[in-house]
Amino acid sequence: MAELQSEGEGGHPLRAVIEVVVRALVDHPDDVRVTESERRGVRVFELRTAPGDMGKIIGRQGRTAAALRTLLAVAAEHQGRRAQLDIKD
Amino acid sequence: MSLTTDITEFVLLVVGAMGLSLTAKIEETPEATRIDVEGEDGGVLVRRGGEGLQALQHIVATTFRKQLGDDNRVVIDCNGFRKDKDIELRQMAHFVAEKARASGVPQEMGPLNPYERRIVHLAIAEDPTVTSESIGDAFMKTVIISSKK
Repeated sequence: MAELQSEGEGGHPLRAVIEVVVRALVDHPDDVRVTESERRGVRVFELRTAPGDMGKIIGRQGRTAAALRTLLAVAAEHQGRRAQLDIKD
Repeated sequence: MSLTTDITEFVLLVVGAMGLSLTAKIEETPEATRIDVEGEDGGVLVRRGGEGLQALQHIVATTFRKQLGDDNRVVIDCNGFRKDKDIELRQMAHFVAEKARASGVPQEMGPLNPYERRIVHLAIAEDPTVTSESIGDAFMKTVIISSKK
């Protein structure tokens, strides 16, 4: 049985979640841009990709975008923080 | 490098980026390749009915859709959460089938997602006296279990 270990740690920047997932989904990972700001105690991330990749991030019926937001929320919850993702098209 | 290794490394990369320290165990079953991430940090993934785990499953399935094709299934689990739920669901399917058979009245289960419906259909297929079908056109559908005449 194979065993592998993740390299999780407490102070991990939340933007890494977005970057890792989005870069895996798109055709142009080098064009992925994530900016962040703080708004009333909530970390707000803005995501931009190459125009042709936007559909891949959103997914059918918005399911991929919903899954990405859920993973971000779970990561934030684990760190006792709050985060929001704005997808800019 | 095998596809399973690629997927496992991706899963660990994602949960690592989430700040979760987890270990992956891989199990090949006739049904699917199961990747179970284990550890105390997994608690947050299985909260609210395993919302985080389902999101992770969707991201993995989408990322590796082409490589997996139609025949290969990969199930992402966390501390055996889905395995336990699968067993419960299978037991429930057999229980509902028994009710359909005894009463002669078709019984409903759900609404269920595609993964859950597959488990129910497979459980029902083991029993030659009952049949199952999904109704609805949304992502979540109800499964009707009826006795065969």
